[in-house]
Amino acid sequence: MRKKHLLFSFMGCSLFGTIFLFTCALQAKSPEIKPWFHQAVLLKTYQQSYDWRIPWEKRDIRTQTGMAIVVRLPQSSKSKVSESVDSQTLYLLTTAEMVADATLIEATRKGIRKPFQAKLVVMDYAANLALLQIEKAKFWGNLSPVEWAPVKSRTNSDANNIYTLKIKSQDEWDMESGIIDRMAVGHREVSDAWFPLLKLRGVSQSGQGYPLLQDNETVGMILEAGGGEAKAMQAEMLLEFLRHASNEPYRSLAHRGFIWQRLPQGSTADYFQIPSGKPGIWVSRVLPYGTGSDVLIHGDYLTKIGKWTLSHDGKVKHPEWGLSLFDLLFLDQLKVGDSVVLEVIRAGKPIVLKTKVSAYEEDGRTVPLKRVGHSPRYVIQGGFLFQELTLNYLRMWGANWRTRAPIRLRLFLEQNKTVMIDGKNKTSDSYSATKDSTELPPRIVLVTQVIPDPLNIGYQELSNAIVLQVNGRYINRLKDVPDAFLYPQDDFHRIDFLPGAERLSVVLPVAELEKSNRRIKNNFRIPKLQAL
Amino acid sequence: MFRFQQIYLFSFIYFLYAGVICLTVTTIALAAPDHIEKSVFRITNYQQSPDWKSPWKMKPTSRGQGSGFLIHGGWILTNAHVVSDSRMLLVNKISSPKPFLADVAAIAHDSDLALLKVRDPEFYKDLRPLEFGGIPELRSRVRAYGYPIGGHELSRTEGVVSRIEFGTYVHPGIDSHLLVQTDSAINPGNSGGPVTQSGQVIGVAFQSNLRLNDVGYFIPVPLINRFLADIKDGHYAGVPEIGVETSSLVNKYYRQYLRLPENTGGILVERIVPQSSADGIIFTGDVLTKIENLQIDAAGMVRYGEQQVTFYIEAENRQIGDSLTLQVWRKGKFQNLTLILKAPPFGAEMRNSYDKIPEYLIFGGLVFIALNRNYIHSPGNVTPPLAYEHWYREVERPHTRREQTVIIARVLPTPVNSGYANLHNFVVDSLNGKPVRSLAHLDKMLKKMPPEMRQVVFASEWQNMPLVLDYKKSVEQQKSVLERYGILANHNTSPKKNRNLQ
Repeated sequence: MRKKHLLFSFMGCSLFGTIFLFTCALQAKSPEIKPWFHQAVLLKTYQQSYDWRIPWEKRDIRTQTGMAIVVRLPQSSKSKVSESVDSQTLYLLTTAEMVADATLIEATRKGIRKPFQAKLVVMDYAANLALLQIEKAKFWGNLSPVEWAPVKSRTNSDANNIYTLKIKSQDEWDMESGIIDRMAVGHREVSDAWFPLLKLRGVSQSGQGYPLLQDNETVGMILEAGGGEAKAMQAEMLLEFLRHASNEPYRSLAHRGFIWQRLPQGSTADYFQIPSGKPGIWVSRVLPYGTGSDVLIHGDYLTKIGKWTLSHDGKVKHPEWGLSLFDLLFLDQLKVGDSVVLEVIRAGKPIVLKTKVSAYEEDGRTVPLKRVGHSPRYVIQGGFLFQELTLNYLRMWGANWRTRAPIRLRLFLEQNKTVMIDGKNKTSDSYSATKDSTELPPRIVLVTQVIPDPLNIGYQELSNAIVLQVNGRYINRLKDVPDAFLYPQDDFHRIDFLPGAERLSVVLPVAELEKSNRRIKNNFRIPKLQAL
Repeated sequence: MFRFQQIYLFSFIYFLYAGVICLTVTTIALAAPDHIEKSVFRITNYQQSPDWKSPWKMKPTSRGQGSGFLIHGGWILTNAHVVSDSRMLLVNKISSPKPFLADVAAIAHDSDLALLKVRDPEFYKDLRPLEFGGIPELRSRVRAYGYPIGGHELSRTEGVVSRIEFGTYVHPGIDSHLLVQTDSAINPGNSGGPVTQSGQVIGVAFQSNLRLNDVGYFIPVPLINRFLADIKDGHYAGVPEIGVETSSLVNKYYRQYLRLPENTGGILVERIVPQSSADGIIFTGDVLTKIENLQIDAAGMVRYGEQQVTFYIEAENRQIGDSLTLQVWRKGKFQNLTLILKAPPFGAEMRNSYDKIPEYLIFGGLVFIALNRNYIHSPGNVTPPLAYEHWYREVERPHTRREQTVIIARVLPTPVNSGYANLHNFVVDSLNGKPVRSLAHLDKMLKKMPPEMRQVVFASEWQNMPLVLDYKKSVEQQKSVLERYGILANHNTSPKKNRNLQ
């Protein structure tokens, strides 16, 4: 009887132990938190963006809190090294949104109350990344840079859990776990940039700049979090940014150089003389930057990028992540400067195009996308406030700017075209998009408002009027305005607007203009009448 | 003491008597003759509007209420918006439950006026038509009659004339005419009712401003008279337009720039609407200084009674075909011009549309319509490309203006258009490389396609990729598409009336 008891006890313990060990084995190893006490810091930033409707003023200060990761720049032998960065020094990596338009950036270490001032070294706003420096050696103490590792997909690893830090207070740091929802290609609307991103679930208590951990390794950085979800950038992209940060001038991350569409159906393929069933994507617009922008044309049917064949919906077989949008190749398969071959069907014939992987660029648009760190440009003459149409300006209409901003202005942004006037089509399609082109694309210049002055009585109803000419000279960009004011017609300056404005022309007397400008500057406390 | 009491008593009696007399006089002055109230009716409109997103369908019937009143000739005058898209019109007299069937005899959507006729002659027994007065004076008292919501019986409200000026008429959407503002309560249901002064009709109540307090508007008599004169021949031609876009010359430096003589008013002509009354007669850069001997001031206003109103008043009181004289300042000299008034040259699509079945065409499951104001104001349709086509092309590139802007409003999914199911608001510039001028033109082009044609290619300035369909399959599947979606006809490319068919 006693033997039976012992036997059953032994079996029960074995069973229990087996289950316990099995469960432990199934669970990912939760990382040790302590290394990250010395590899991440807290950030607090005070940001003050410009008021694009009163471009000499700034908006209210707002504060943000987040984190930054301690990094060292990788060695780069390719390009001229920037003087502002140093591969031996430690830096802080965080998001661009944390530090854009910052007037003060403060970093604090775990357990140390005193904040240290950080300085922005390099920012890539399109990729939402920023590199900071702290000059005081005392700050760095026993901080050490992270060792980056590539993030693993679920299929290749038992450890499908990821972790990040959870900051309860300055002294209390903990871990929060989540899972990788998927690897995706995210669209950053403010820059119209497409970059690979990790979509995560469960790490909602994290925030900008928090390190992303997997198997005790740093595999990425959180870009934004909330509502039970988060987005992160992978280590490979972060390393690429750090590599580029060493270079002068800074180049952004690898990016496609075209916009594409799926061919809707067989008739469309037939029309474009594409063999039936041939997978690929249709190039609907070539951008002025990015991979393939120098060799592709509108209407090309792209079938292969390097060794990767494209599907009908723009996907390729990524070695780690499986079937994914082709932009994922820029994560770890194709780097800026790499040679790459593009196979296309053009006018019914297959051709092979050779090019190099190239980066995202900010310029080249008729309506510039969101800019940070630059004060708005403007010219004031006789109370007429001239500004270029930008996304920053449109966003002044608030969160619902897409429906509230003037529809005529939204059209320029959407179509990336300038004014089309009889006989003088100034679309950016006619702008040369080659890299050697030194001519900037034309811009939309507006009179956004008329600052009241006795000189301009009767013109106050004008707002967001698109400027066509000043003194008979076509205005293609803001700097044309002061140039045109050098050539008055007789004793008057004349400004002509695009039809659809409240009025189509105004005149300003040359003899009174300077006095009026001085009055306006004084009455409205405008620091300067021109910022170009 | 006694004498003091006598004085006090006589004074009291005197003031009491005076008060009673005043009250009686006032009451008599304000009391309306019975015949006015008897001649104001409640109009009930059972209406049905088209579904502009699915133009082969009608929306459910709804019931609207307004007012109207009897004028000469047995006509009942009311607002166009009270009787639009009517399926059945009923008219009730004061305090009478019996409804009488009525029909729309004439309608002016541009000035929001309409005339009805009641079928049963019994209706008119013992009724007196109301007489018209003129333009009221500012601050004078007026009375509004009607059947606003909130009750069933006739309502009477009083107020003063607050303002007389040009303003937008909401019913057509883009027309501006003279209107009179009053603080006499004008509420939903009052529309079409008379506004009276001294027993005469001085206007038709028609709209209010919900953002403001105590602001109602009525249509003044001159515009009503213009409408009645216009329809005498049985056909409504419309309010004419001069066809100029102007800007004020309030700024003295602009006046100096134009070398205008001192003390000359005038308004600057900045654009001429192509094919308008002014086209070829007035030019950009002209300064309009006089219209029919009325001085135009620097803000474009003329004296109109005790008011200053916009100079357009002289055109809007006239008929199409009438002449209009103008004085302009042109190249340093005054010149006298005469123009013949024409109808506004823009198409009907710029106004809100009523009493019409929408035009449409279905081919290959693609639903083509002519872009119009009703459609673009439907939720989600004010997109930048459609806004450009509807409002801006005309002014920026007038030589590229088409008869109609044809768009693919939506797609009825069917095998031939697979891949395009989510497409909407595709502006059609060309078919197989040939420009498309209108819906009827597109219909003709499709019908004339040779049977061996392989594809139909619709291209658009706003899209990078054209829309391509297999022509033969589109034709073959036409019947099944219509059957599947319960559509009776694949097209309506000639405008039909949406009117009561009884």
